[in-house]
Amino acid sequence: MKKISILLLPLAAFIGVSGFFLKGLFSEPRYEVSIAVNKPLPTLSLPDVMEPSKVYDTGIFKGQKTLLNVWGVWCLTCAIELPYLTQLRENGVRIVGLYYQLNTDADFDQKPMPQLQQEIRDMLAKHGDPYQFNILDANRSYGMDLGVTGAPETFLVDEQGIVRVHHIGDINPRVWSDKFAAYF
Amino acid sequence: MTSVMCQSVRYLVFMSLLLIWASPLSLQAADTTFYFDEPEKSAVFRELTAELRCPMCQNQNIADSNAMIALDLKRKTYDLVRQGQSKQEVIDYMKARYGDFVHYHPPVTPVTVWLWLFPVLFVAFAVVMLIRARLVNTDHSNTTVNRAAGGTGNVADSPAADPELDANVSRADALMDKYK
Repeated sequence: MKKISILLLPLAAFIGVSGFFLKGLFSEPRYEVSIAVNKPLPTLSLPDVMEPSKVYDTGIFKGQKTLLNVWGVWCLTCAIELPYLTQLRENGVRIVGLYYQLNTDADFDQKPMPQLQQEIRDMLAKHGDPYQFNILDANRSYGMDLGVTGAPETFLVDEQGIVRVHHIGDINPRVWSDKFAAYF
Repeated sequence: MTSVMCQSVRYLVFMSLLLIWASPLSLQAADTTFYFDEPEKSAVFRELTAELRCPMCQNQNIADSNAMIALDLKRKTYDLVRQGQSKQEVIDYMKARYGDFVHYHPPVTPVTVWLWLFPVLFVAFAVVMLIRARLVNTDHSNTTVNRAAGGTGNVADSPAADPELDANVSRADALMDKYK
């Protein structure tokens, strides 16, 4: 009896390891941890992209659920998710854009504002405009405070200004039903 | 001859492989775009950029990575070190935004402690198993062969050396010596 159970041990080990690898096939290849979740938004003091004289603070998130979407005209995946986000806006979801400005060379000056504004207008006209307004994160410093590593990323901010979801990647129907739909 | 040529070709291959292996080491020159007045700050900066992981690529430190977020973190590290923050303060700043994973040295928590415990326990287990296997091997008295030959299986009752057997064995050895 002891001999049989010892002989079965390699088989059991093989099944165990196979199960572990099978689970790995479907799991996220990048280690994604979000520090921003379940904490209030960091202090915000940034201008509107279209009207730089207008400065926003975290008060703009109080009172209603908002999606804070990090995007840029340089970002291809953002262009792909814009139509779906526009559809969400039409269904009553409040979406605010955090414009993550990227230069071709970070050590050089940024794009002139009129050129940037025109590029944004062109892109939103082409793919759809889901944004109530866009906050300009020119140095990507607010992105760093939020733990943003690129675009597109989306934060779900609740009525008290607390982050509930931090999603890395585009928003599509599957992601919406998995991560966001429960809050609406 | 062909064997001599093979030897010098092998030497050439070995040397070129050695050079290829060694060449990345020469790329770790001081980063020329980040200037420091004090050399200690420069050393802290170098250590930090080697120990902070790029949150995007995840298998490069921010010194090596060219991802935009890595460049941003490198610039932020430069600013913080220049302001006079200590190495631990900069690490805490980064961890507050990107999590424990951004630092290449994992913290010791009830989950990660197994990184260190598991190899130690595994070696201890292997040593125990080896000792047990050794003990089984040296005890020949209780083997099937011995008991079949009339032995009782106790060490105390083992048969004394058989003189006739020994004599025959040494005669056989002497005969075999002729053929060495």
